[in-house]
Amino acid sequence: MTSPHPPAKVKSRKRHHWIVRVTHWVNFVAIVIMVGSGLRIFNAYPAFARKGEMFCCYPFEHKPIPAWLTFGGWLGGARHWHFAMMWVLVVNGLIYLTFIYLHGDWRDLVPRKGDIRDSWQMVKFYTFRRKDHPHQGKHNALQKGAYFALPIAGALAVLTGIAIWKPVQLSWLTALFGGYVWARYWHFIAMLVIVILSVIHVFMVFAVDPYSITSMITGNYDPALSPEARNARPFYHLLPPRRPAAPVPVAPPPTEST
Amino acid sequence: MSRDLRKFLIINGIDRRDFLIRGSGIISAVLLAACDSRGPKAADKLLKYAERKNRVVERKLFRHTSMDVVRAGAYDAGNKLPSYFIAPTVPVWDETARGKWSLEVSGLVGNPVRLTLEDLQRLPQTAVETWTGVPFSELAKFVRADPQARFVDFQSFDDDYHESWDIESAMHKQTVVAYGLDGKPLQPAHGAPARVYSPVKLGYKNTKYLTKIVFMPHMNGGYWSDQGYEWYGGV
Repeated sequence: MTSPHPPAKVKSRKRHHWIVRVTHWVNFVAIVIMVGSGLRIFNAYPAFARKGEMFCCYPFEHKPIPAWLTFGGWLGGARHWHFAMMWVLVVNGLIYLTFIYLHGDWRDLVPRKGDIRDSWQMVKFYTFRRKDHPHQGKHNALQKGAYFALPIAGALAVLTGIAIWKPVQLSWLTALFGGYVWARYWHFIAMLVIVILSVIHVFMVFAVDPYSITSMITGNYDPALSPEARNARPFYHLLPPRRPAAPVPVAPPPTEST
Repeated sequence: MSRDLRKFLIINGIDRRDFLIRGSGIISAVLLAACDSRGPKAADKLLKYAERKNRVVERKLFRHTSMDVVRAGAYDAGNKLPSYFIAPTVPVWDETARGKWSLEVSGLVGNPVRLTLEDLQRLPQTAVETWTGVPFSELAKFVRADPQARFVDFQSFDDDYHESWDIESAMHKQTVVAYGLDGKPLQPAHGAPARVYSPVKLGYKNTKYLTKIVFMPHMNGGYWSDQGYEWYGGV
């Protein structure tokens, strides 16, 4: 694959500051280990209802999570990983949030008027009900929503985690989430939100904007290759080519084109 | 510098597609290798370090006043307390073989004693949740525990089961050497004749089938702590 543009001409403007790039990958490792070890801890009692009681909303009560999804090897090991990695997650998250606050990057993520409309336009574009990629800033509206929701889910995961780690010493915190049982539910809900958003994120990176991987490693990004510039839908490169590349004829031909 | 990276990749004959395929292959391989594992061996030291640091934080968070008042809306669980499986067989103190049961309290104390169940019941009594027994702090007063004793070991006749505690958790108002449950004498399943019970520690720290309480200047591990569970085990 050859790049039609000499790299020397690309204006050196980092898409992601190095702090964002480092915290991103630290966060990746921390989340994978926190989820894996958390699921291993869950396997010590893989259910949400007390013994002999029914639970409405989880189809796999008392069925352990498959080992390949877990990390830590055994309950004690998983607990050690969980309680060690939680500091990495928290400190890393605080560095990231402090940085984007001071550096102004939060402006690319904070919800604004019109985001819901723009999100709907993105959905329409991805479902072929809109031809051209909606105009966007650094991120499209759907991305913005996800990146804004993730730190909130992260904070919820951390706080509910503390609530079920120290339900006696910090009983006020546990009470805030509705008691131990509810704090545990919230902990799982936060984890699920993080996992679902992360899976979609990784999928979209590979399917729509693989060039962003480089930008998250080196910081460089060529705007000419952005999904907006390429009009990229998921797996755009596997899709049949767009209709005859007639670049806006001066007079529209009389034949019908759909 | 992406230019350097690109140069490096070109020199090595790796184009972008190759890079993505190999890159994701390597990442998946690492993730798969990490699955269901205990993690890299080299991390053990780091985990031990984290455990020690966590212990400092946990001891700082520890409050004697945590949950010491009954909250509005609390109710008596009564028979609703779930019964749970304990073990196929439970250790029972055999009087004919071992003589009368007694609890030895020793170590860094001014007044080492050996207490029978009757002696124990004569000491000031309290009830925590539905456990009846002697508050540990009363026992410590009774044996005149040395301020040098920063740790306590709770030992049992259940083979070599024991767990050592930090003194603050042991001296917590709600830590009891229990000999009764639900108004009845303790049953073997729950650790008869006497066991330690405290809401500030995880289950495995609450030694059942007590025979010996030792005040110590150092921590002494424990049955599960020695097998890799965290020593502190506080909640």
